[in-house]
Amino acid sequence: MIEVSRRNFLLGMGALGGAAVLGGCATSASSGAVQQTAGAVSIQSNLSAPAAKAAIEALAKGFGEQGAAKAAVNTVASETFRTQLPSYLTSATPPDTYTWYPGSILAGYARKGLLLDVGDVWQGMGDYSPAFRTLSGDGTGKLVFVPTTYYWWGFFYRKSNFAKWGVTPPSTWSEFLALCETLRGKGIEPIGLGAGGGTQWTSSAWFDYLNIRINGAPFHRDLLAGKGRFDDPKVAKVLETWKTVLPHFDPRGTAIPFQDATTSLLQGRTGMMLIGTFFADAAPKEALEDIDFFQFPILDPAVPVAEEAPTDGFFASSRTPHLAATKEFLKYAATAPAQELYIRNSSGTILPTHPSAKDSGTPLVLKGRKMLQDAKELTQFFNRDSSDALQPTADTALIRFIQRPNEISSILTEWQAAAQKVWNS
Amino acid sequence: MTALAAPARRRRHRLPPILLLFVFVPFAVEAFWVFWPALQGFYLSLTSWDGVSPPTWAGFDNYAELFSDPTFGTAFANTAIWLVLFGGISAAGGLALAMLLQRERKGVGFYRAALFTPVVFSLVATSLIWQGLYQPDGLVNSLLDTVGLGDWQRSWLADPDTALYALLAPALWRQLGYVMVLYLAGLKGIDPALYEAAKLDGASPWQQFRYVTWPQLRPVNSVILSVIVIDSLRSFDVVWSMTKGGPYHSSELLSTYMYSTAFQTLRLGYASALAVVIFLLAFGVIVTYLVRVLREEES
Repeated sequence: MIEVSRRNFLLGMGALGGAAVLGGCATSASSGAVQQTAGAVSIQSNLSAPAAKAAIEALAKGFGEQGAAKAAVNTVASETFRTQLPSYLTSATPPDTYTWYPGSILAGYARKGLLLDVGDVWQGMGDYSPAFRTLSGDGTGKLVFVPTTYYWWGFFYRKSNFAKWGVTPPSTWSEFLALCETLRGKGIEPIGLGAGGGTQWTSSAWFDYLNIRINGAPFHRDLLAGKGRFDDPKVAKVLETWKTVLPHFDPRGTAIPFQDATTSLLQGRTGMMLIGTFFADAAPKEALEDIDFFQFPILDPAVPVAEEAPTDGFFASSRTPHLAATKEFLKYAATAPAQELYIRNSSGTILPTHPSAKDSGTPLVLKGRKMLQDAKELTQFFNRDSSDALQPTADTALIRFIQRPNEISSILTEWQAAAQKVWNS
Repeated sequence: MTALAAPARRRRHRLPPILLLFVFVPFAVEAFWVFWPALQGFYLSLTSWDGVSPPTWAGFDNYAELFSDPTFGTAFANTAIWLVLFGGISAAGGLALAMLLQRERKGVGFYRAALFTPVVFSLVATSLIWQGLYQPDGLVNSLLDTVGLGDWQRSWLADPDTALYALLAPALWRQLGYVMVLYLAGLKGIDPALYEAAKLDGASPWQQFRYVTWPQLRPVNSVILSVIVIDSLRSFDVVWSMTKGGPYHSSELLSTYMYSTAFQTLRLGYASALAVVIFLLAFGVIVTYLVRVLREEES
């Protein structure tokens, strides 16, 4: 049997395409050693929300103005980007650098030798916190990722609406339940969700937070890494707790994407929503000043407080034809001025990873930064702490739970079976 | 080449080289672009492959797994439902529309065009329109409210009981016009003298349909059956863009399950096994039908 790798397959198809369709027009497939080619550094980006897209384009422009080289952004829809990533990385002429996040996927590609070793970029990056350095490794000590921004999750609400309804943010679980009751009494759906129409993963935030609040971050990480089981009674306890607050969820929660749920929140049809700050990328600027958030309530004071702080940044292809320029770009993206430029052009609700880079300085951002600084532990997000392959199993299980909360034990059994397949493959 | 060299000696059957070229060049292209990838797909179904590292040999493990995979069972059953409902309704509906619009009357062109329009709509537009209609406060729910059926309101795409059937509507919306056009072409090909003879014999409209139209449409029917079977087995776009097979696999078809297995869970070997099953199904249904039809025509 012939050993066919995807790469050879694509090369074969490419060669045939060149011969048959273009009549021998040469394809510039270089499969040997990395070579230096003129031209802009290509940034493959999955940031398609208007504010985020504007920000990354500003970053590329800012890099171009440095004079050393140019960079060009190629924005791809997020879903396409994610599914095409293996093709990008294994193609003969891969894009140079990619927007991505740390986690198991990153480590997986790194182990297969597809990612550029950026150890020398890190040497010039200054005193980044050790946490970011750990996140950027492939697990064997090699650095393959350059973090540029991070953000936080929390219960977002409109200050004016809370004032109008005469309620204040809760800090404990019982206060949280009381708040839900009060809002319900006023005819408002207390909790928006937005786990429909392609953004089912927002439901994982609830699972993540309840699990780290009840069982703690180490248990959560082990579970997501395949060292635990979803049919563990500790996981059942997470869903049992969730069940007590489910009646307060907007019943349309599993039917609409988070963007629509955001609209409901801003219009005051729902009271609050557990979401990451990225939702602001699609929200109108004037509404942003009225936005505030509170931390996910503490359930068990004995469990060290952990928060979700997903980190974003760049990795590069080990086969980049623009080796030097790509490293220049990564170095630039890691500098304080570049991160400030990025934040200025975005919705401004993210935090820079560079220790001396300034954030947008709004009260909201200061509060978010403080919450993360006070946390004993940080987690990323379900798919980042586990893998993109495990995420659909969570979507299936959690959406079913939200709609049929009385089937917890069969849901968890099936989730474990589905997860087992992912871990085994 | 010996097989070809033998007849070449007989002068009357000599093939000019240019003809051979016409046969072999398309064959080579077909072989490289269709047969080889198909064999490749079959080979992959016998491996386990994550799309990046080299595939590892797994034998028939993937096929064995299919039998114990409840999601595969759901997808298979849904595909069968889809085949019957989508296939049946689009064939029957397409024929009904074609019968209705076959005679040249004033304004008939407008109706034909209107029914055909969804076929040319882009998928993105189609799913956006229907997603809007099915929204919790979309047109479907507000219509139900207006006619006093407020109790029937639901989140059509997010409810596992209705998701599959809610997806049938846009799929049929796109397919009906297409089948109608095929039937219209078939109806145009029927000799009007047959109807005149039937009328002289006193045939009722139903008898005309039963004994003249329907037998005459047989060649068109086999084309339409093939088209419908293939279209329903590869129905993917509408489902993927609107529910991705969810909620919890309730609207999963074999095609969407294949896609999510391949590109979300990155199990390309297992996904290839699913693709082989889809191919066998399409091939099986169509070949069975064609063999039957051809045998009837011979006798």
